Amino acid sequence: MEARGNPIKRLFAIRGMGQVLTVTLGLIVLCIVFSFLNPLFLSGRNIANLSRQIVPILLVGISQSYVLITGNIDLSIGSVLGMSCMISATLMTKGVGPWLSVALTVVSCLVIGLINGVLVAKCKLPPFIATLGTMTIARGIAQIANNNYNTDAIGDAAQGFRDFFYYGRVLGIYSPVILAAALWLVFNFLLGRTRTGRHIYAVGSNIEASRLSGVNVNRTVIIAYLVSAFCAGVVGLMTTATSGMGAMDAGNMYEMYAVAASVIGGVSTLGGQGILLGTVIGAAIWSVLQNGLQFAGAPVAIRNIVIGSIVIVSVLLDIVIRSGRWSFRSKKIS
Amino acid sequence: MAVLEINKLSKSYPGVQALAAVDLTVERGECHALLGENGAGKSTLIKAVCGFHRPDSGAMFLDGERYSPLTPHDAMAAGIRVVYQEFNLLSFLSIAENVFFDRLPRKGPFVDYPKLYRDAEAVLERIGLRASPRTPVEFLGVAQMQMVEIAKALSGECKVLIFDEPTATLSPKDSGRLFEIIRQLKSEGIAIIYISHHLNEIYEIADRLTVLRNGEVIGVRDVADAGIPEIVKMMVGRSMEAEYPFSEKVGPKNRVIFEARNLRFKASAHEVSFALREGELLGISGLVGSKRTETLRAIFGADPKQGGDLFIHGERVEINTPRDAVRAGLSLLTEDRKSQGLILALPLSQNVTMAALDKASAHGFMNRREELRATGQYVDELSIKTPSTEQLCRNLSGGNQQKAVLAKWLYRDSRIILFDEPTRGIDVGAKYEIYLLLWDLVAKGKGVLIVSSDLNELMGVCHRILVFSNGKIAGEVERKDFSQERILGYAYREYIR
Repeated sequence: MEARGNPIKRLFAIRGMGQVLTVTLGLIVLCIVFSFLNPLFLSGRNIANLSRQIVPILLVGISQSYVLITGNIDLSIGSVLGMSCMISATLMTKGVGPWLSVALTVVSCLVIGLINGVLVAKCKLPPFIATLGTMTIARGIAQIANNNYNTDAIGDAAQGFRDFFYYGRVLGIYSPVILAAALWLVFNFLLGRTRTGRHIYAVGSNIEASRLSGVNVNRTVIIAYLVSAFCAGVVGLMTTATSGMGAMDAGNMYEMYAVAASVIGGVSTLGGQGILLGTVIGAAIWSVLQNGLQFAGAPVAIRNIVIGSIVIVSVLLDIVIRSGRWSFRSKKIS
Repeated sequence: MAVLEINKLSKSYPGVQALAAVDLTVERGECHALLGENGAGKSTLIKAVCGFHRPDSGAMFLDGERYSPLTPHDAMAAGIRVVYQEFNLLSFLSIAENVFFDRLPRKGPFVDYPKLYRDAEAVLERIGLRASPRTPVEFLGVAQMQMVEIAKALSGECKVLIFDEPTATLSPKDSGRLFEIIRQLKSEGIAIIYISHHLNEIYEIADRLTVLRNGEVIGVRDVADAGIPEIVKMMVGRSMEAEYPFSEKVGPKNRVIFEARNLRFKASAHEVSFALREGELLGISGLVGSKRTETLRAIFGADPKQGGDLFIHGERVEINTPRDAVRAGLSLLTEDRKSQGLILALPLSQNVTMAALDKASAHGFMNRREELRATGQYVDELSIKTPSTEQLCRNLSGGNQQKAVLAKWLYRDSRIILFDEPTRGIDVGAKYEIYLLLWDLVAKGKGVLIVSSDLNELMGVCHRILVFSNGKIAGEVERKDFSQERILGYAYREYIR
């Protein structure tokens, strides 16, 4: 009884695929426009560059998508990123081995994720408030990590760490791209093919019905926040690897970029809707706009205005499409 | 003279012909009953009349003039009003503000409250609602809220008033008052379209009836000439032998499957104790507010318990959350399927497995093949009308949503199943299917507990009935002793003293 018909129809039958395909079309149009504005846009070098630029937005996008799909929001993503950057860099400058530093950093990020999850799920705090609190706390930790200074260079001992998280290449592909692809595969699988993933969609769509079906709602929300903090932490490590030092303001505003990437890709802020494939496209659109507008010579101010507008327009478009053409498919049969 | 005339109205959705050349005429001062099973096309027809969607073909005439509403607002402006089963009231505003919400009288930029209250009083007088127009709606009972809805409909020009299942949430006494109002509106010349699953109500107030089935008009009758068997046959397409299936052959076994001892919960001051045997259909009767639903929810761990013990097969079980309950072998089918039973935004298949994900997965990974197999099986067994297993539950009709909830818990295959109003709001044919299903369950040795406000239904299907009165079990009646007087006597016991 599963949807039959030609491959295109089957593709559209996947939940949330319609929006993703629409946005992909938008992405292609953007690329064409930018390549006309500046032929260098599609040069191999820029493509390679672009692929690395997408990574942080994609990863924090996965963070935010997970939390949004459960019907919550995570404002602490950017601060956790900054905290991860500062803690890892500080540890390494103090002579702690790079891999031990990575482990300690990831654990500290997960602690923030756990706190978020417990506050929202068990203590029933509104997610906006709970994560606003941890956002500020995590930023404070980032600042206090090295006594309110950015760190010095993490040094030559950390070269392996820097290669793994940023500079290395395998078969000509930069390591952060490989890392992001691997994480995406794992988390996409978790969301789409496992019981936990089912719980995440269920809780985000109807928390009471999920509870009455025996779903462990608290555990599900906590898992989403843990995934969120984990991905944000990985981006923090990448940031350290990139610049070779820790910056206290790393990841500033990233929680919002993450919302943008998710929402452009079709994840609903109301919960229960969206797929991670959409988040990839959303992150790509975000990065292509940044990069393409820069290539086209647009000043930062113009870029901000354009990107902000794109966020609004893409969501508007989604609403129009849902209430218009595709609503035929979803009208009540009675 | 016909106020509303509908001529060959058709509407289709992908895979479904919701309306096929439907004709309907409603005269001035007539109450016209619209009957049919869930999915017969009643809602679609009403929605077309109210401008919620446009028909594919056909025409409508209002007072002889062509009428084709593009929006619900057009329909209201033309004098077509609906009182829905679910109310659209703003609970913090007063009765008067709700009644005149879309056209509050003004004095300059301000609301003219004296005039508003005067106008509202006049409308309330007309339908006999004795309440101050200043009362906030949140303080009203269900019946009064419905009267506010009616007042709202009458506050503007009203030619046709449509009632969609108006008595579903009313007590018999309140229903009686509603019928009086409807009779009065008829005498004022308002045309009424009345939708209800309760056929006996039709005889109280309706003049004519139209039966729909699968989007087609099966027949139009004068109510005086139509008997219930004929109407049911028109609706279902076959005649039904008995209203309730009951078999002496399938009786409860002696073994107690579930027992509650001294159960206490916040909503009630009293303790509840009872036992349910294997293969027994145990009914719970009682007035609204007698804590029947609350008892089920407390057993299931949906609301916190304050004390007492639960036993399954004689062993004490600790149930603090629905999750514990499901693991212990309990299922609860809530009354409100839309907000508590189903996840409307997810496809049918994912809803079917929601309560038994462990059965449709291995080591945490979903097994889609098993999920589709199970869903397909229940689509067949319960004859759920859906274009595919991947249809979102939001797009299923009410009866099919109820079946989806059933499928979910049948797949869970619990030993003890708690039903809260399993047949509320569904039609005769589907009701019968659900009764058969209940019998199927007890034949398999499961214990079934049913809360229902329909006493005839409980007396028709149960082995035994517990009667709740104000939070206490006031009486217990075996099937051989079933009688309305006896059960109602127990139901009122704690209120009389």
